[in-house]
Amino acid sequence: MTSDTRTDRLIERKEVGMQRADDTLSRAKDGDQTAFAELVREHQAMVFSLAHYFSRDRATAEDLAQEVFIHLFQNLGAIESPAHLKFWLRRVTSHRCIDHARKHKLKTVSVDDAPEPVAPVNFRDSLMTEALRRIVATLPEKPRLVVTLRYQEDLDPTEIAEVLDMPLNTVKSHLRRSLVILREKVTRSLGGIKYESF
Amino acid sequence: MNRFDEEMRKALRREEPSPDFTDRVMARVAESQRQEKPREKTDWLRRLVEFFQPPTMKWAMTGAMAIALVVAGFGVHYRLENERRRLAEIAEGEHAKEQVILAMRIASAKLNIAQKKVHETASHEGGPK
Repeated sequence: MTSDTRTDRLIERKEVGMQRADDTLSRAKDGDQTAFAELVREHQAMVFSLAHYFSRDRATAEDLAQEVFIHLFQNLGAIESPAHLKFWLRRVTSHRCIDHARKHKLKTVSVDDAPEPVAPVNFRDSLMTEALRRIVATLPEKPRLVVTLRYQEDLDPTEIAEVLDMPLNTVKSHLRRSLVILREKVTRSLGGIKYESF
Repeated sequence: MNRFDEEMRKALRREEPSPDFTDRVMARVAESQRQEKPREKTDWLRRLVEFFQPPTMKWAMTGAMAIALVVAGFGVHYRLENERRRLAEIAEGEHAKEQVILAMRIASAKLNIAQKKVHETASHEGGPK
């Protein structure tokens, strides 16, 4: 199979996928609950994970994600396309997370106070993941969302600025400062093991 | 992309919620719809009742009722006045008719007298001289 044919098939598959997403959205907008359930299934990981990395609590994250989907159900008429749906969900989830944190005054541990476990090298990877998650959770609300949207959703700073209604320079500055903190802390938390490419 | 970015992506990869998450969302959707329906049904009635409830509306209603009463009073008065005028006109007409009849009777009686006098004068003149 030539690479051109493979590319054509990939494009075709992508177009079919977009067509299906469009169709599911219009059926959900017409009141088809099965189609709405499909939308929930398609996007629940994104919404739940955003809330989870923000709150660091599964139950809270599930509650927040449920509220976001109920809100979506009530506002389906305003959704114009599958891409708009994704943008809308990211935006609403982010704002709900910030509102929730303000209402419940989530306790954030200072980055300097975060515990720093020393790990044997063979557990390094899983510990690295856990350490990164824990340190992300200690960031202030907005930088935490910026970092999560950057790495979980793979959004660039311009897209993050749109989702969070924030000036682009603020996003860039949050990202830069957070990454410096994260690099420093994760190196320290892994017992001084340094990645050369950090 | 450097190693740190890779680690960040791995640490913050998407995760699935509990397996029954979709079902729970759909149950809440159904619940919200159940609550919505009876509200929709009685919505027009509630709005109608509410329309008359605020204190300002009560004053407006009192004003409107007073205006309606005044208008109705004027209506009744106008109708009664019309009826009275019509009856007066009828009575006036009857009276005029009676007067005409009386005048005609008088005229007829006068004519009879005049005719009698003419006959008597004619018979005197036409008699023996």
